Amino acid sequence: MHSIISRINNVSAFLSSCLMCLLGAIALSSFVFTADPKGDLAIASVKVYPAKLQRYPREKQEMAFVNFNISADLTPLFNWNTKQLFLYLEAEYENNQGVLNEVVIWDRIVRRKEDAVINVAGKNKYHFKELSRQFRGVRAANYTLKYNLMPHVGLLTYGEAATSPAPVEFHIEERVS
Amino acid sequence: MSALSEMFEGKIDFHGQRLVDQISKVVLVAAAIISFIVGFAMQSLQVTFFLYGVCIVILALVVIPPWPMFNSHPVKWLSVSEEEKKTK
Repeated sequence: MHSIISRINNVSAFLSSCLMCLLGAIALSSFVFTADPKGDLAIASVKVYPAKLQRYPREKQEMAFVNFNISADLTPLFNWNTKQLFLYLEAEYENNQGVLNEVVIWDRIVRRKEDAVINVAGKNKYHFKELSRQFRGVRAANYTLKYNLMPHVGLLTYGEAATSPAPVEFHIEERVS
Repeated sequence: MSALSEMFEGKIDFHGQRLVDQISKVVLVAAAIISFIVGFAMQSLQVTFFLYGVCIVILALVVIPPWPMFNSHPVKWLSVSEEEKKTK
């Protein structure tokens, strides 16, 4: 502490330790917030069509097209330590080999509390394909709206906001009408 | 030249150093606690870090320059003639 340089050194060293403790306290404060909001998810239709991908034009690929309605109020999830909310709509089904598949067909990033009221009547954003290229023999799928809460400091937390009330069958169409 | 280098060195006496040490420790911890509580109450991380930043700037202005209040107890050196008497 005898010179300016040593005072700056001393103060900045203790300052960085205090900052780390402050950030740790902010991360721990996230555990106080235990909001678990629930919403509604309705699947309007699921249709499977034979499709041709641009990349593999010779392959007979079947693709599912899902129309859904989501309504959820996720504002309780926004606290001071929430940076953003990653929402995703996931389809879970068992294929004819008995393997559980989980496919994300729609997602959204919510950065502000004002945008956290979700009312979406949409269709799948991403291709919904089966690894074996056919949806025959695939059992009915369960659709869930899940979220991933990303804090400014701390642990990532996951949750489920809505789920389809009953498993939804795949309707296989012969050709695009 | 030596006056310039003394200005950059910014010496303070031992009482001043102890005072600076106490002030900086207390203010750093108290500012962290207060800015956490105020930010939590207002649910805004911006408030927390803005308040903490303001406290740090004020602390730096108080503690880092060699103010005269830190030099109010200069070291009392023994006079030269007494030393010569002792060695002889």
